[in-house]
Amino acid sequence: MIAKGRLWKIAGVILLIYVILAGMLVPLKPGIEEVSPSSGKSGEMLHLEVTGYNVHFLQEASSLRAWLKWPDGRALRASGVQVLSDRQVRLDFSIPSQLPEGPEVQAVTLLVDHPSDGTAVLPTAIFLTQEEGGENLDTGVWEKPANFSKGPFFTFPYRNILAETVRNTYFHVPLWFGMMFLFLAAVIHSVRHLRSGGRHSDQKAVAYTLTGILFGVLGLLTGAVWAKHTWGAYWSWDIKQNMTAVALLIYVAYFILRASVDDPDRKGRVGAAYGIFAFSTLIPLLYVIPRLTDSLHPGSGGNPAFGSQDLDHTMRLVFYPAIIGWTLLGFWMASLWYRYLNLREKVEDFS
Amino acid sequence: MVSRNLPLFITFCFFFFCSIQPLAAADFMRSIGKIYVVTGVMLVLLLGIAVFLLVLDRRLTQLENQIKSDE
Repeated sequence: MIAKGRLWKIAGVILLIYVILAGMLVPLKPGIEEVSPSSGKSGEMLHLEVTGYNVHFLQEASSLRAWLKWPDGRALRASGVQVLSDRQVRLDFSIPSQLPEGPEVQAVTLLVDHPSDGTAVLPTAIFLTQEEGGENLDTGVWEKPANFSKGPFFTFPYRNILAETVRNTYFHVPLWFGMMFLFLAAVIHSVRHLRSGGRHSDQKAVAYTLTGILFGVLGLLTGAVWAKHTWGAYWSWDIKQNMTAVALLIYVAYFILRASVDDPDRKGRVGAAYGIFAFSTLIPLLYVIPRLTDSLHPGSGGNPAFGSQDLDHTMRLVFYPAIIGWTLLGFWMASLWYRYLNLREKVEDFS
Repeated sequence: MVSRNLPLFITFCFFFFCSIQPLAAADFMRSIGKIYVVTGVMLVLLLGIAVFLLVLDRRLTQLENQIKSDE
């Protein structure tokens, strides 16, 4: 059990202050919010209206460069760049009459490079169809995009659809880590209770389980708020959402089971045994089953946790302290509840 | 009536025409990069922790009252 000292609690709070400040104040990289139209034909001039995010096109407008990039790396440079406002630009591309070797419809990535903002990328932005005939507009400049401008030094990545909500990574994801650590502490004390008995280990198991369930419920709620604006609905019956709800219901049953037993010694032992079982269900429910199917959740179809694609090195600098900070806060809350249970027991013995 | 308070009438017209624009929550959120989704998440967390503290506070008060009544 964590000592009653205050240092680790203050450390948790300081970490969370850092996480809130850094998580909310660091700007995002420049991004491309909208492109219209989203398709084009070979042998045609393609005029794109592009809306950027976190960009300032009016500054150094003449140094703006843009490319359409094919998966194999070759790229077509924009022949015309017309800045309309700080966030809007019109790009002209002369699509060659003969597209590179490949399927009839090819998806290309749009890159927009600005000297002080940095480079904005929109993957599979435009779908180009190979058409018969068409003018021989081979006036397009093929060049490999290079000398990408570096924007402000410390930025979080811009992901389409997510945009600013990527900051939720520091507030939603650490809750799950915290929940796992809390449930782990609960199972350690459950095992201790079964082995050597005693009120304290039982009370600690209850406190950790309660706080763990709270973190899990908050995780589901914060996930629902995030999902509403990225997936379209608060609850999508996504496999990870479903399995997490099932796992939390199994943990809620822990309290129902305890309430059904009157004798305090049996209550503690039955509860501890069930708590160990409940922890063992977390592995298949949260980590195995969601990986077996495709899911809306990040890294779907194999890895519902965060992979290297979702988290870059700037985010890690805030993400890891966030896990520690939220976990420490959870342990502080659990320790408070344990102290309450301990006091309650003493008062009831006395009266 | 209009002539009696023209500024008020103009203000009323302004709000009336604003309210009939279909500026759904989704458009508003997108226009500022959805930062308010993060605000919503943090609010949920604060409320969850506040509920925990409130329940704990109430139970501790009950205990304190019980101790006081036992003296």
